[in-house]
Amino acid sequence: MTDPHKTIVVTGVGVVSPYGIGLDCLQTGMLSGKSCLEPVKDDVYPGFEGTIAQVRDLPPLAEYSSPRYSRTDQLAGIAAQDAMASSGCDRSALVDAGIVMASTLGGLTEIDTGIAKDPGAWYRRPGGLLRAASYPFAHVADAMGEHFGIRGPRCAISVACASGAMAVALAANTLLDGAAPLVLAGGCDPLCPFTLSGFNSLQALDPNPCSPFDQNRKGLNLGEGSAVLILETLAGATARNANILAVLRGWAMTNDAFHPTAPQKEGSGLADCIRLAMEMAGVSGDDVGYVNAHGTGTPLNDSAEAQAYEAAFRGRKLPIPVSSTKSYFGHCLGAAGALEAAITIMAIRCGALIPTLRLTNPIETPGVDWLRGEVKRQPLPLAMSASSGFGGSNTVLIFESGRS
Amino acid sequence: MSSHLPSVTITGIGSVSPHGPLAGLIPPSPLEPAVISTWATAGPRRAFLVPPFRPADVVPGVKTRRLDRLSVWALVASSLAIKDAGIDLTQVDRSRVAVVFATAFGCVELTEAFYLSAAANGWNGTDPITFPETLASAPASHVAMFHGLRGPNITVSNKHFSGESALIQAASLLRHGQADLAIVLAGDALARTLYSWYEEADLLSPACYTSDSAPEADGFIPSEGVAALVMESSASGAAHSEARPGTRSYARMISGHWASGGQPAEMIGRMLSGSVPSLIICSGNGAPCATSPTASLAREMVGDGAVVLRQQSFAQGLPGTGALFHLILGLNSKSGSSCINGRVLLLGTARDHGFAAMLFEL
Repeated sequence: MTDPHKTIVVTGVGVVSPYGIGLDCLQTGMLSGKSCLEPVKDDVYPGFEGTIAQVRDLPPLAEYSSPRYSRTDQLAGIAAQDAMASSGCDRSALVDAGIVMASTLGGLTEIDTGIAKDPGAWYRRPGGLLRAASYPFAHVADAMGEHFGIRGPRCAISVACASGAMAVALAANTLLDGAAPLVLAGGCDPLCPFTLSGFNSLQALDPNPCSPFDQNRKGLNLGEGSAVLILETLAGATARNANILAVLRGWAMTNDAFHPTAPQKEGSGLADCIRLAMEMAGVSGDDVGYVNAHGTGTPLNDSAEAQAYEAAFRGRKLPIPVSSTKSYFGHCLGAAGALEAAITIMAIRCGALIPTLRLTNPIETPGVDWLRGEVKRQPLPLAMSASSGFGGSNTVLIFESGRS
Repeated sequence: MSSHLPSVTITGIGSVSPHGPLAGLIPPSPLEPAVISTWATAGPRRAFLVPPFRPADVVPGVKTRRLDRLSVWALVASSLAIKDAGIDLTQVDRSRVAVVFATAFGCVELTEAFYLSAAANGWNGTDPITFPETLASAPASHVAMFHGLRGPNITVSNKHFSGESALIQAASLLRHGQADLAIVLAGDALARTLYSWYEEADLLSPACYTSDSAPEADGFIPSEGVAALVMESSASGAAHSEARPGTRSYARMISGHWASGGQPAEMIGRMLSGSVPSLIICSGNGAPCATSPTASLAREMVGDGAVVLRQQSFAQGLPGTGALFHLILGLNSKSGSSCINGRVLLLGTARDHGFAAMLFEL
């Protein structure tokens, strides 16, 4: 018998992606096979040439107009607003809610090289001190709490590219602890010269639209966005007659303890994470209908990840369907895990196995059904989202249809 | 709502602080701020600084070249805490060991260095080795790599209560069986950009400018360092203790409560359920001691029924991440030892930004 106080459900999903604002917008774009990846048009920084996915025409949030709110804060605020609208949850229900928000960048978007040359002079520029105040990644959670009047436990996390997924996992723990009646959790990260330059210096970028899991993959593309999920216990959601979008059946976090940037070569950390999440969910590999992979498109990540699926789903009757939706709008860093959780929920709700774009010559992995070509329509009761990041962090989330 | 956490025991302590690298409790010796010499300042500027040391002299075999000082200190402090707990990691299932790290500013020194390389060479000429080391999560990743810890690896931040958040997240992992043992770390490193921000924002104590001013004067003295605790769930702690004769319990964490608003006295009162702690350790997190609301809240809650330990010198200079240092210093204070076997409340408040309260049993 399921304990409604120990069952975590998703009752709201808010998204800001290169497709626009909202899960519907994302769904329409992805199911039509539209890619948001395009060559750099704007002057991101002199000399940078490559492919990115930008969020354009971000509507201003009046309360976020001060220089003390970064673009990261704005992305998160709009996604939270969208999540609240999708949940039908008014602000009064959120007073005691918790916030767990992830970002790898915080307010780095508002800072330029001048700060390192002469910080005092930089701070004395108009708005300098305020802009710098948005730098700590905790500011994203604070801005959201202040903006929406949320007074429960608040925490920001940063675990590289697994951040957004880990925020969801920690939010679920927070609910199990009884520390808040519901929690807004997710991730956000914008494009900025700091990260574009960093990944460029690592030679991790594909100058053209990326091809995750292809044998000829050349690297990743960066994107930007934010996703916020509203999580609560089944008991709480039922009590307020909330619309349950999905059940978070299981979650797990592991670390490779291997290398600052490279994954463990056989993907053992991720494989362990998948097994732990399935154990928590009480499901077998045969129960999982789809995996939304981390799938960055870098040679090392995709190779290790493919081996992780091979190992974790060994014994499954049929190859496990896997795709990387980073082929649609790139790698959104701290937002990626949360956006992919939203996509996984969307896939379950509309019964769609979303293919990887530009996947022509997949990595040879007998245990994996690399989704490509057309969207496959079929009932999808249970699906998984896997995220990994620099420093070896892994997080796996397992969602089930909220209708069951 | 309160988090009624399972009994979680602190079995090891390590730190890198202005007192240097230490295993176990930090002696309550007075500390004077030091003059900053690492970067040019307009006249003498003072702060509580970690004295230079060779990490490999403290932790044989540790390699720290090209790491941010924050990562170096996390490596050293975690090693000292593990040693203090008497843990032989080769005898532990390291897939069940979590790392939870709290920082307010992350690897700010190498972030500065990355910006400087961009200023010098353009954004197309930045350093690929520096970039991943700018991530706030880099220290926790290095701790995992060095010790081979494959459990959850989390980096948290919370404006005024980062250290407290790390304690609560770690306790939550232990409670839900997602780890048997957690290395909890909190701290930050001072860098030029950070100190300049404090100065331009007029947050510094007069004691930062002259040794004639009392540290308690209005404003605060920035500080740096990393504190580490080994936390074990009661069940696993007991099992490990059997294999580790002489294992001590510094304190058992009983419950925790944190919120970013509301009425702290009322909420903490509910958490305490009528029991009065013998000692309240104030963790002011950057607010000047003289004006911090934490001590007055503590007094309001317990009257004269408990010893209230005000914020401690250098720990006060770590905005958001000082809680672990406050706890370590509090556990070693004269007041702390006089109420052994009593209950201790670690209390942090921030004006208009909520509170965090954690109840321990000695």
